[in-house]
This record gives sequence, C-alpha cells and structure tokens, in this order.
Amino acid sequence: MNGQPTAIEKIVAFVDERVGLKTLQAKMLNEPVPGGSRWAYVFGSVLLFIFIMQAVTGILLMFYYVPSADHAYASTQYIIHEVDYGWFLLSYHFWGSSAMVVMVFAHMSQVFLWGAYKKPREMIWLVGLALFGIVMGFGFTGYLLPWDQRAYWATTVGVEIMDKTPILGDFMARFLKGGPTPGQMTLSRFFVIHVMILPASLMGLAGLHIFFFRKAGPAGPFRGTSEELKAKTDYFFPRQIWKDMVAMGAVFFTICSLAFYEPVVLLEEATPDPGEYHPEPEWYFLFLFQLLRLKIFAGEFGQFLGAIALPGAFMALLAALPFIDRSPERNIFKRPIALVGWLLVMISIVIFTVSAIINREFLD
Amino acid sequence: MTDQPSNASSVKLGLAVAWPAFWTGIPAKIAFVLLLLAAGLPPWEGVGLVFLLLLSIPIDIWAMGVSSRTVFLERLRLQPPDGIGLTLWWQSALLNVVYLPLAYFIQGYAKEGSKAVAGKIMEIGLIKGLPVAERISIELTLWGTAATIALVALILGWLSLFGWIVRRQTAGAKAAEASYQGLVRQWDLMRVPADQPLMLTVFTAVGVLLVVALWSFMPVTTPHPHEQYKKDAVKVEPPFKPVEALQKTEKLMAQAEVALQALEEQKAQEEAKAKGKGKNTGKENGASKGAAGAQVQPAGGAAKAGQAPAASGQTDQRAAQGAGGQKR
Repeated sequence: MNGQPTAIEKIVAFVDERVGLKTLQAKMLNEPVPGGSRWAYVFGSVLLFIFIMQAVTGILLMFYYVPSADHAYASTQYIIHEVDYGWFLLSYHFWGSSAMVVMVFAHMSQVFLWGAYKKPREMIWLVGLALFGIVMGFGFTGYLLPWDQRAYWATTVGVEIMDKTPILGDFMARFLKGGPTPGQMTLSRFFVIHVMILPASLMGLAGLHIFFFRKAGPAGPFRGTSEELKAKTDYFFPRQIWKDMVAMGAVFFTICSLAFYEPVVLLEEATPDPGEYHPEPEWYFLFLFQLLRLKIFAGEFGQFLGAIALPGAFMALLAALPFIDRSPERNIFKRPIALVGWLLVMISIVIFTVSAIINREFLD
Repeated sequence: MTDQPSNASSVKLGLAVAWPAFWTGIPAKIAFVLLLLAAGLPPWEGVGLVFLLLLSIPIDIWAMGVSSRTVFLERLRLQPPDGIGLTLWWQSALLNVVYLPLAYFIQGYAKEGSKAVAGKIMEIGLIKGLPVAERISIELTLWGTAATIALVALILGWLSLFGWIVRRQTAGAKAAEASYQGLVRQWDLMRVPADQPLMLTVFTAVGVLLVVALWSFMPVTTPHPHEQYKKDAVKVEPPFKPVEALQKTEKLMAQAEVALQALEEQKAQEEAKAKGKGKNTGKENGASKGAAGAQVQPAGGAAKAGQAPAASGQTDQRAAQGAGGQKR
C-alpha cells in the first residue's frame, strides 16, 4: 500500500474519464426505491434475465438447427438425441418461453394492481404493452421451428386466426405462410422473424421501457403513511438487486426443473395431414382457442368477433387505460372496478384454458 | 400500519408470517428439487420426497424466523422472542400433521361432491342440449367454484389456527420502544449477516457445488428418446498404427511371394513332366509345345532373377503412402 494506483484502478480511471463510468454506475445503482425494496418489484428484472437466457440458449441451438423444411425436424431430433446436453438446452429454451409469458402476465398484473400505469408513467405502460405483443410473437414464431405435427398445426391454426383480421389479415396470413400451405417459405419467414426481427425489436423497446422507467422513477407502494415510506425508502442497490437475484435464481431453477421433469419430445414430422393429431395452439393461446369453439363465435362473423374484435378491443382498452383512469388513487382496494375487472379476466383465462384441456381429453 | 396483537385478526396475523415465510424458503427448496430431478430422484415420491422434506426443515425454521421477526418489529412493534423461528415451526408442524390430512380429505370430498352435483345439473333438459364446448365450461365453472370456495375456506381455517399460534408468542413479548425508523433499521439489520465476507464465501461455494453437482448428474443425451429415432450403430474401428500396418503388409507380401514361387515351381515341374511325356508320345507336336514353353519360361525366369523383390518394394511404398493417406 504505497498509495500508488494499481493497474486496474488506472484502467478504470482511464475509461471513467472518457465515458463517465462512475456517474453511470451511481445512476444505475443509487436509484431511490420509495418505500424500500419489495418482492413485488422483481418481475421486470426477471423478464430481462429470462430474455438473456433465451438469447443464449437460442444462439447455442442455432449452431445445430437447420431452418429448412427438409432438415428442421431432423436437425431438432439431432439436437435432442446426439448433441451433448442438446436436449437440456432445447427443453430450457422451450420452458423459458412459457416462463416469459407467465412473467409478462405477472409483471403487467403487478403494474395494473399497483396503479403504476397512471400519470406520469403512461409511456412506460404503452411500451410495456408493445413488449407484451413481442413476447407473444416470440412464442408463436418459435413454436413452428421444430417442424413436427404440433408445430405445423399450431401455426396453421394461428395463421387462420390472423387471416380473419379485416383489411390486413389476408396480407399478413399470405406473407407469413408464403404459399397456400405452410412450407419452406413459412419456416424461413418464421425463423427470420424469431431470430432477427423480434429480438432486435425487443432489445430496442426494452431499452426504451427502462429509460422511461428511470426517468419517471419507481411508483412505490400504494399505501402507507409518509413516515413509513420515508423510513423504508432505500437505494436500488443492494437490497432490490439482491431480491432480483434471488428471484432470478428461483426462476432459473424452476425452468431447469421443468426441463428435467418434462423434456421436449417431438411428435411425428410435419405433414399436411393431421391424422390422429388434434390441432391446437401453445397453452397460452388455449383460452382464445377454446373461446372460438363456443357457438356464439361460430360462422365467419363470429370467428372474427372472437379471434380479432374481442382481443383487439381488450388490447385497445389496455392501451387507453392510463388516459381513461385519471384518478390519482392507486390503492387497488379503493379501485373496485379495476380489481373486479382484473379478477374476471384472470378467472376467464383460467376457466377457458382448463376447458380447452378437458376438451382435448374429450376429443382424444 | 401498526396492528395491536389483541386487535389483529388471527387470519391476518397468520398470513403476515406464513406468506413471506413460504416465499423465503422457495428458492432454496427449488434448488434441491432441481438437484433431485437431475439425479433421477422424483421429489414427489419415495427417497426424493423424504430427502426434500428433511432438507425443508432447517429452511422452514430459518424462513419462519426471518418473516416473524419482521412482523413482530414492523407491524406489532414488539421485540421478537428468542428462537421464534424454531418455536413457530414445531408448533405449525404439529398443526399440519392434524390439519393437512383432514383438509386433503375435505377438499377431495368437496371436489368429488361438487363434480357429481354439477354433472346432475348438466343433465337438465335445457343445458343438456348445449354444444360440447359450452357444456365443458359451464360444468367446470360450477364444480370449480364450489371446490375453490372449499379450498379458500380451508386455507382461511389454517391461517386462523396458525395466526393463533403466532398470537401466543406475542403474549410474553416486550414492547419495542424505538421510533419507527429505528425499528425498520433493527429488522433490516437482523437480515444482514454479521460476517458478510463469510456469507458470500459460503454462498459462492454452495453455488459452485450445486453447479458441479448439476452438470455431473445431468444426462448427456435425452433421457426420453423418440421412439422412431434410430441411432446409427457405432462401429469402433481399431486405431491405425503405421509401423504395424507396414510390417503386416511386408509379411503378407513375403507370404505371397513364397506362394507364388511355389506355384511357379509347381507349374515348371508340371511342364517338365508334360515335356517328358511329349517326347515319348510323338515328335511331330514337339515343335509347337516347345515354342509355348519358351514364351512362358522367360517370364518365370525374370521373376526368379529379381523382379519380384522390386515389385515387393513398390507395394511397400504404396502401403506406406496409403498409411499416410488414411492418417490424414
């Protein structure tokens, strides 16, 4: 200890002088969290972690995956059966996509129940909705890539639903399919969207989302006296970061456990004949799929109503929410319409998802 | 948000301790579940379940201690009694031994009963005529609602009893005199270990151990192979040794040379015999046979004179080149 800076300190000082490293670090870590750290705030960080893990496992899978109709199925089988730990990587990637959807629902629910979409956080909410759409797009496009019967028919059903959108539907369906039936063009387009367009969009929008969040600051708890809030207010580092890390660890262990418990097993290779297989989409679209089976949504107009108009109106309502709900009250127990509305949506999703599973057993 | 122990409902008190305790213990338990799954031991049955339950004991004691101390200081403004985590754990364990089997039985009965009732309601004329999708959703909503109400009632019952256990601990607890900020600081510091470098070292070591254990347990290829995926039979070829291959080739060539020599000698003897016979049978054919013999003789003669060793040398050279080629 002669007071002389070490080589590492010199390098840090060199970089700091040029890019303002210490200011950046202080800005990142010393963000005040009103009311202190909470487990309820971990979902956003966990989503970012899941996305990074999906990117890492996705890149590793791309070393072996061949995005052609002739080789997609065989190369996926090769990953599962021949590549060292390939089965685990693929299963982790598969369950990671489901975890991402669950976390998006959890994150949006937390923001909604905490009233964190209200002024001045409207922009964070809107960008968040776009990110929700991207996550669902990831699930939809990634599902086709193994090119087995499940993938082929889930895509067929999904594209048919998309086809019902007025004006744009036909174009979108034709663009995605690239032909009358799913084939090489479909696979190529889904692959490019899955590995190029959606990741780039997600990275850009996630950056914007975090920027808006840091600009407006965390909303904090929706109840508590000013004395309590002041006493508990803390910096982002270390307590919230610790909570985020524990939650990331728990999610990572859960995804790994699911990969072990239910590893990916492919069905038969995709063919235009469904045979014994009953086509259905991925589990997070099942509620919508079951909704479309109801008689009220039968026929051309009914299908449009159930597949496009209702979900579209719901998304439009979510987008308009911060501009409709202008009351500064954030306590969910003092916002009965919001609480009942959220409960109804969640219960409906659960009932129709379970109904779809029972319906599957009925069909089998 | 201060609650007086005497005023706070048992359900609220039970929930305030049990909910964070449950989530506090989850990450550590999932890590063990993962290891058990990787080792091929399902954690929901047999040895895996016993192992998980045993590991859960210290985790639950610790988690209950952390969450109850927070509730005592922050919500109740009481000094938590010593060893509160252990006390709450064994008392709730006793409660669980009695309550959980009973709750399991009641819930099962409620589910089956509500399913049967819902099934009968579905037989009513108007509903019977509905399409399958509608019938499934209505039936599920009917029995699902009844079963959920029963489940919520059972959970509230458990929380009430657990809250009563927590309340008993408040009886002998001293009031916390510090200001709110002081209390927050106290429970905050309770969660931070005194020796942080030691905690970080242990944490890192356990992390490394878990990662090593996971990768050593994990199967390299899928434990669930596709029934139609046929793996190619792997033929293990012996390693190529150039010197041995050369020696073997030389030996083969030498053997071939000996065999060839023997054949030529045999042929020459046969021809000699044939010549002898020819002399005896007639002199008019002798001229043409003699010419044929003269055509054969120089070739055999040349071989004997040294062409064979030259050929053998060429073969050795080719074998050596072949060896190099194969090695490449």
